[in-house]
Amino acid sequence: MLDMKAISKVYQTDMVQTHALRDFNLHVAEREFVAVTGPSGSGKTTFLNIAGMLEPFSGGQYCLDGVDIGKLNDNARADLRNQKIGFIFQGFNLIPDLNLYENVEVPLRYRGIKSAERKRRVEECLELVGLAGRAKHLPQQLSGGQQQRVAIARALAGRPRFLLADEPTGNLDSLMARQVMELLEQINREGATIVMVTHDPELARRAPRNIQIVDGRVTDFTLYQGRSMDTAMAAGG
Amino acid sequence: MFEIKPTLNALMRSKLGAVLLILQLAITLAIVSNAVSIIQDRLTYLNQDTGYPETAIFKFNSLNFDKQLDRLQQVELDEQQLRNVDGVIAAAAVSSVPLTGSGSSDGVQLKPMPQESKRVNMGYVTGDEHMLRALGATLAEGRDFTEDDVVVSDGDGRLPSVIIVSRAVTDALFGPSKGLGETVYWGTNPLTIVGIVDTMANQWPKSSFGENTALIPVIRAGNFQKFIVRTAPEERAQVMRQIEELMLASHRERVISDITGLDQKKARYDARDVLMMRMLMTLIVVLVIVTALGIFGLSTFNISKRTKQIGTRRALGARKSAIVRYFVVENALICTMGLMLGAAAAVLLGQQLMQWYSVPALGYSFIAVTAGLLLLMSLLSVLMPALRAANISPSIATRSV
Repeated sequence: MLDMKAISKVYQTDMVQTHALRDFNLHVAEREFVAVTGPSGSGKTTFLNIAGMLEPFSGGQYCLDGVDIGKLNDNARADLRNQKIGFIFQGFNLIPDLNLYENVEVPLRYRGIKSAERKRRVEECLELVGLAGRAKHLPQQLSGGQQQRVAIARALAGRPRFLLADEPTGNLDSLMARQVMELLEQINREGATIVMVTHDPELARRAPRNIQIVDGRVTDFTLYQGRSMDTAMAAGG
Repeated sequence: MFEIKPTLNALMRSKLGAVLLILQLAITLAIVSNAVSIIQDRLTYLNQDTGYPETAIFKFNSLNFDKQLDRLQQVELDEQQLRNVDGVIAAAAVSSVPLTGSGSSDGVQLKPMPQESKRVNMGYVTGDEHMLRALGATLAEGRDFTEDDVVVSDGDGRLPSVIIVSRAVTDALFGPSKGLGETVYWGTNPLTIVGIVDTMANQWPKSSFGENTALIPVIRAGNFQKFIVRTAPEERAQVMRQIEELMLASHRERVISDITGLDQKKARYDARDVLMMRMLMTLIVVLVIVTALGIFGLSTFNISKRTKQIGTRRALGARKSAIVRYFVVENALICTMGLMLGAAAAVLLGQQLMQWYSVPALGYSFIAVTAGLLLLMSLLSVLMPALRAANISPSIATRSV
């Protein structure tokens, strides 16, 4: 599903070059649930941004679902993001002026899906996260946990095969965090590939596969729940 | 594709900025469309043909203080001397000068006073048989005055019997293409219309009867005498320079004053209109700039307030063009509401101005054209901030800003 080979990312200022990622290799297979951990400044967010095509990389090769991202222009990357990737952000990133229904509808509008189909999908996703009855509410009328569930519904509405979650429980209390994690596990069981960046080792342990980023490199991986070492080797690079 | 409904919903939920902009646009449209209408009306007036070759004519005054002087003889002598000057085409002593805002007005009617009949107000100029040529006005029908037509006021008791009028006078009294040879009454005095000039403005061209003019062949020789002189346009300045010396040479006990071109006289008469037009144009420019800055400022503020939201939209699959479109559509919605409100305000303001200041009725085309231009200006104002918004990196979505 996700294949990064020798990816590097350099942030250049007038005086300083910062290597956020260097010789970064990672393979994530279809339907995997991977937790990415690492200390602050290790390059987790840069990895997530590159994986989600939110920013360009400086070198190496990145293929998502067989598509060489390096060869795509801005429009093609936007289209691919819209079709293949669902984002879940730490700060939820719901649009405050839009109600829940309209928020979930946003990626579907960019895909040009017809109104009736949008309605069906939005209602289905809000139902899945248990917020169907609050479609007309505004984000600020919800708790943090509910807002993150809306964000998950929005990520799922486009039926992406790949979910990128950036600290999805970072702004939630433990009860809410557990609920969100259970939802992600359910989504993974239903077939989506998930890469989740987290600080929380407790949460990371719930993912079948853990990857640690230190100083811009994948330095370690741990397998849980009986995944084979062959897969892990191939995945870890 | 244009996300009109969610954009409209979002606008309704955070309306303060939008409402202020709507009001600004409405006020701008109401004021600008009325101002443009007034300017257009004034421009039409200023560019209107007066019927005179203004740049070829000048006037001057002669104030005699010689009590023994035979004024009539002096006037004839002066006219003769003027006609002998190189470059002078015609010259005449007149009671007043058209286009100057000063002179005599009266009415002519179809029956002698005090009988009730159709009456037309007009400005009139009296002078001798050279008056029409000196004014450079062209007869469309009939004939010019002859020496026999001219009477001397307070002279032998004769009253004038003929009159030359502008087409506006005959149209008003007799209907189109009629009037030549007809008799009108100036008080109780019958006057036969011997000539009609298509276009001939009177002394107050912007008044309601500005096109109603009459020339009457009467010489009133007084201490204070006005002269009009027509030359070839390129020789006017040179002739004007000679006038004072020439007049004083024939008779020194007088003062020659106000040697001024007819175009300059008209410019003075129109000075207030020109000033008003300039002020209105300044007002329009200021209003349009302020509105454009308002739109630019609001868009820039909205974009800086929504940086994360824009990044999120980009992350969710919005192309750069979709971001530009979002802000343009949002602006177009605000603009449409503002312009609809403004159109109604413009009509109301136009009606009030018509009542208070006798300005012409505001044509709907002025509102439509102004609204179209404001919409265009508004879209141009939002385009730069929108393009900047489109360049916000989607990676902003994962950052804490």
